[in-house]
Amino acid sequence: MAGETGETIRPRREFIPWDDLPVERETVVGIGTVLPVVVLYLLIAVLPIAFAFWASLHNVHTLNPVWEWAGLDNYREVMNISTFWGSLWRGIVYMVGSTLLQLAVGLWMALVLNRVTRGQKLLTAVVFTAYLIPTIIVSLIALRVFDPQGGVFQMIGAEWLSLWEAREAPLGSQTWAMPLLILIGSWKFSVFITIFTLAQLRAIPNRFYEAAKVCGANRWQMFRDITFPRIMGIILVVVLLRSIFMFNKFDIIWQLTQGGPGNATTTLPVLAYKTVYTDQAYGLANAISVVMFLFLFVAAVAYFKLFNPSDEVETTT
Amino acid sequence: MSQSEPPGGIFGLSYDGETSIFETLKLISTAIIVLVGAWPIYWVTQLAFTEYETVEEAVTYFPTPDIFTLGNFVVLTQPRMYTYIFNTVVVAIGTIVTVVLVSLIAGYGLARLEFPQKENFARILLIGYLFSPIVIGIPLYQIWRSIGLLGTRIGLIIALSAISMPFAVWLMWKYIMTIPEAHEEAAWVDGASRWRGFRDVVVPQCRPAIIAAALFAFALAWNDFTFAQILLPQTDTTTFAPGILRAMGQAQFLPDAYLMAISLAMTLPPLLFAYFMQSYLLKGFQVRAL
Repeated sequence: MAGETGETIRPRREFIPWDDLPVERETVVGIGTVLPVVVLYLLIAVLPIAFAFWASLHNVHTLNPVWEWAGLDNYREVMNISTFWGSLWRGIVYMVGSTLLQLAVGLWMALVLNRVTRGQKLLTAVVFTAYLIPTIIVSLIALRVFDPQGGVFQMIGAEWLSLWEAREAPLGSQTWAMPLLILIGSWKFSVFITIFTLAQLRAIPNRFYEAAKVCGANRWQMFRDITFPRIMGIILVVVLLRSIFMFNKFDIIWQLTQGGPGNATTTLPVLAYKTVYTDQAYGLANAISVVMFLFLFVAAVAYFKLFNPSDEVETTT
Repeated sequence: MSQSEPPGGIFGLSYDGETSIFETLKLISTAIIVLVGAWPIYWVTQLAFTEYETVEEAVTYFPTPDIFTLGNFVVLTQPRMYTYIFNTVVVAIGTIVTVVLVSLIAGYGLARLEFPQKENFARILLIGYLFSPIVIGIPLYQIWRSIGLLGTRIGLIIALSAISMPFAVWLMWKYIMTIPEAHEEAAWVDGASRWRGFRDVVVPQCRPAIIAAALFAFALAWNDFTFAQILLPQTDTTTFAPGILRAMGQAQFLPDAYLMAISLAMTLPPLLFAYFMQSYLLKGFQVRAL
C-alpha cells in the first residue's frame, strides 16, 4: 500500500490549483474512477427498486399506463394470494436443494480436476463449458432427453428404473418436475463452485503437502489441515452467491416447465413474471418483487451475521 | 514408498494401500465427470450431424455415413436465426467491453486512491446481487420504455453490464491490490503520469483478472434469457435465447436436429474460450481476499 513516502513521488501536473481547494486531488480522481459504476448501479439497481416500490403502491394494468393509487393494498393482496406462500416454499426448496447438490458436486469436481494428471486441460474445458453455454441450450437438451417421444432419459427412467410410466413426461409430472429442475440446474451451475474452488486449490503450494507427508500425515489429515482451511472462505462466499442466484432463478424454470404442472414449480420469480404478463397486474407484480428483495435482504444479513464470509476470507490472506 | 514412511493411512491402511484406493477413486470420479460433462456435448454434436428425419423417428447414437449430413446447419442461414445469433454476439461483445473498461478503472481507483467511504461503496455494490433479474427487469421494462431504450441492444447491454459489474469491480480491486505499487512508483519516478502508469504498468499485469472478468461477463450475456425476454419484446431485435423459445412456440415444425445444429454453433465459442482461457481464468480467480 501507499506509504508516506509514496505521496512525495506521485506525479502532479498543476493545471488546477489543488492546494488551494478544500478537496484533495486524489479524492476527486478516486471518486471519478468509480463514477461510471455508480451511474450504472443507480440506473440498474437503485432506480428500478425505487420504481418497483413506487409502482407496488399503485394498481397498474401492464399494458395501460394509468396508475391508480392503492396504498398498501397490493401488499395485503400478496400475503393473501394462495399461491404466494406456496411459491415461497417451493422457492426455498429449490434454493436449498440446488445449493446443497451444487456444493457437493462442485467441490468434488474441483478436487478431482485438481488431481487429474492426464487430459486435465481438456477435461477442465469440458466441465467449464457447462457453465458457459446458454441456459436455453441446456433446457433444449433436457426437454429432448426427457421427452416421452423418444427421449433417452425418459426411456431409461421408464424401462430400466420404472420411475415413471412409459408415455409419461417426467417434466410434466407433479412428483418429478421439481427434482428434475434441481438436477438439470445443478448440471450447469455446480461448475460455478468448481471454478472458484479450483482456483483456490491451484493456489496452494505443493510444498505444504510434501511437508505434511514428511510429518506422516495421511490424506484425510492433509485435506482437513491444509486444503479445507484454504478453501473454507471461498466456500462460504459461493454458497451465499449460489443461494441468492438459485432463489432468483427464473430462466431455466420458465424454459423447462413455465412453472407447471399446475403450480408445482412456480417459485417467486415465476409468480412475479406470470403476474405481469398473464394477469397483467403490474403493480401487484412489483409488490411481489419488493417482498422477494426484502426476504433475500434479511436472509443475506442473517448469513453474514452467522458466518461472516468476508471476515473468513480476510483471515486466509 | 520406503520403509521410513510412517504407518497411519486412513482406516489404518498402509500408505501404499491408501494411495491405491485414492487413485481408484480418482479414476472412477474422472470417468463420471467425463460421462456427465461430455455426454450432452456429444449428444448435441451427434444429433446435429444426423439427418433430421432419422432423428425424429429413432434414437441414434452415432451419425453413421448413411445418415450423416451437414444439411442441418442450413438453419443458421435462416434470416431469423441469423438475426438472433448476430444480436447475441453484439450484446456479448458490448457487455464484455463495457464491463472490462468500467471495472478496470474503478478497480484501480479502489486499490490505489484514497477517498471517503471507499469500503462502504464496495460493500453496497455487492447488495446488487440480491436483486433478481426479474425484480429489476419488471420495473426496467417501464423505465426503458419511457426513455426509449426498450427493444434496443444498447438497453440490454447496459442492463447486463450493470449485473456483472459488482463482481468484476471486486475482482479487479482485489487483483490490483496484489500488484506491488512500487512498479508504478518506478514509472512515476521516470516521469510518467498516473494515467501512463495505469496504462503501461497496471493494465498489462492485470491480464488474468481482465480475462476472468470478461469471461464472467461473456457467460452472463451469452446465457441471458430473463432480461432479453423482458427488454426485447419484438422478435426482430431479440437475442438467441428468447428468440429460439418463441420460434419453437410459433413454428409448426422445427426439427430437433436443426435445434441441435444451432445449439452446437452456440456451444462452440464457450468451449473454445474454456479451453484456451482456463489458466488465465483460474489465475484471475485466485485472488485470496475475493
